[in-house]
Amino acid sequence: MTAHAEPVVAGPSQQEGPALAARTRGLRKTYGRTVAVDHVDLDVPEGAVLGMLGPNGSGKTTTIRMLLGLVQPTEGEVQLLGHTMPERAGDALPDVGALVEGPGFHPFLSGRENLLRLAAAEPRLTAAGIPPAVDDALERVGLSRAGGRRYRGYSLGMKQRLGLAGALLVPRRLVVLDEPTNGLDPAGTREIRSVIADLHHDGVTVLVSSHLLAEVEATCTHVAVLNEGALVAQGDLTELLESESAGLEVSTTDVTAAVEALRAAHLAARPTPDGVRVELTRAAAPDVIATLVGAGVPVYEARRSRTGLEDLFARLTQDSEEAPTWTS
Amino acid sequence: MDVMTKPARRTAPASRLVRAELRWIFRRPRTLAVLGLLALIPVIMGIALTVADPTAASSGGPPGNDGGNLLPAAAASVLVLPIAALTMTLQMLLPLAAAMSGADALAGETSTGTLRGWLLAPVGRAKLLLVKALGVATFTLAAAAVIAATGILTALVINGDGTLSTLSGTTLSIPDAVGRVALAVGWVTLQLWAVGAIALAISAFTEHPMVVLASVLGGVIVFTVLGSLDALSWLHPFLLTEVWWSLVDVLRDPVPAADLIDGGLKAACYLAIGLSLAYARLVSKDG
Repeated sequence: MTAHAEPVVAGPSQQEGPALAARTRGLRKTYGRTVAVDHVDLDVPEGAVLGMLGPNGSGKTTTIRMLLGLVQPTEGEVQLLGHTMPERAGDALPDVGALVEGPGFHPFLSGRENLLRLAAAEPRLTAAGIPPAVDDALERVGLSRAGGRRYRGYSLGMKQRLGLAGALLVPRRLVVLDEPTNGLDPAGTREIRSVIADLHHDGVTVLVSSHLLAEVEATCTHVAVLNEGALVAQGDLTELLESESAGLEVSTTDVTAAVEALRAAHLAARPTPDGVRVELTRAAAPDVIATLVGAGVPVYEARRSRTGLEDLFARLTQDSEEAPTWTS
Repeated sequence: MDVMTKPARRTAPASRLVRAELRWIFRRPRTLAVLGLLALIPVIMGIALTVADPTAASSGGPPGNDGGNLLPAAAASVLVLPIAALTMTLQMLLPLAAAMSGADALAGETSTGTLRGWLLAPVGRAKLLLVKALGVATFTLAAAAVIAATGILTALVINGDGTLSTLSGTTLSIPDAVGRVALAVGWVTLQLWAVGAIALAISAFTEHPMVVLASVLGGVIVFTVLGSLDALSWLHPFLLTEVWWSLVDVLRDPVPAADLIDGGLKAACYLAIGLSLAYARLVSKDG
């Protein structure tokens, strides 16, 4: 629970990696004595679908609210689409769509009227452009038919979809979705997944927070894991999972020859039903394959063995005292 | 139609937001119900006057003011009923309506999570307060106007000859009478803006609309009690409610303007204080 006193890194990291749609440095938020978010350095690469994971109360929503300028950070800086938040919210937010802390609409208005009211505040829409934008957004989330009904009568899933429609009123550069699949049935979850895939295909950056790991694993290119207000891991999803389990599964018909060749090269290997599994602690995958091919072993397939996101998440969030803080 | 390519807007035009806000206020079933009930009050007063013995009604209203003479006089002059209805409702019901409007504007929208949608659009917080204040202002104007309108209609029905006599005994011309009613509506609206601004300030501090209603109503009651205690006469110039009976002055000829002007200035002070507090809270509030 101690505060990190590291200086805020500003310059160099910006030029190295890809452009960032959102970026925080030393972000911290305290409510009285409670530390909600503690020294978070979050990078959301442009074009990524970043899944923000963490147990309840880990600071996901608070971080998102600070990113969007809804909450003033206690310390640290936030850049959203290259603009400092919350001071330059007027420059950044028109290109950002967000669904934060569940959908918020008026029960006595219809879904369509609610969106019209929301759209009236969208800087990018002209007065004449509002009704078509609303109808497009309703269609996109499958609410065209229910648009005229009062929000009061909507099911949880429909409310969630209307919230998503509100985030998609205008073409965005960044879409932030806080627990978008809450209350959705499997079909609704699939639809959200396809909306996210479409956005990703169009080059839109998506930041989605979720506690459903399978959901994140299926839709995201990047992950960030929060635990007790601290960022315990972030990076490319594939890289993170691979670095967790350094193993190579090689399919071959000649298991005996393969094991012998590897042992001769001092590489730990053990037979599996359709080949061998090689530990990649001493050598990289290409070296292993070169060794096998050099020894005349027929290699049909080689792939990195992956642990699930679930294992990674459990390890990162279970005992926070010893969980290493690393980024890739 | 639209201009083809403008530089990208950073925020939506205020006029569009105000229109959306007014549509929201006047589409709301509660708003319409409140306006409907307020409209009924002069009608009920009119019926009571025709049914009841005029001399029995003269016990109403506080001593020292002309409230006691108002109701009987309303039976004799078309001019009196709308003003009497405004004076009566200004003591409690109209402030309650103004508080409701202020409560819905910020606290209500925070509790439904709808305020966040506009903040994220983004709508700057100063502009948000401006739009909300204009919404409350329009609603309170409508509330006062509705009472005046049904007051005039009721008075015309129960007082067929259309006498436009004042409490001073003179008779006004029609334009002059319309002017008096408009003056009363404007003055009452200004008082309600003061109440609405205080309601907005409280509304910015809470996400429970009930807190706003209870605070404003409690405040009105406390102010009225304080105003009735002679030992606290030094405090009376600061109490907004103290001036509310002086609306009756509109019915005199010529109009004694001193109390009305004093009340208008007090309301302007409350308005400025309320809006300043609301702004100070809103800019630092978590959305």
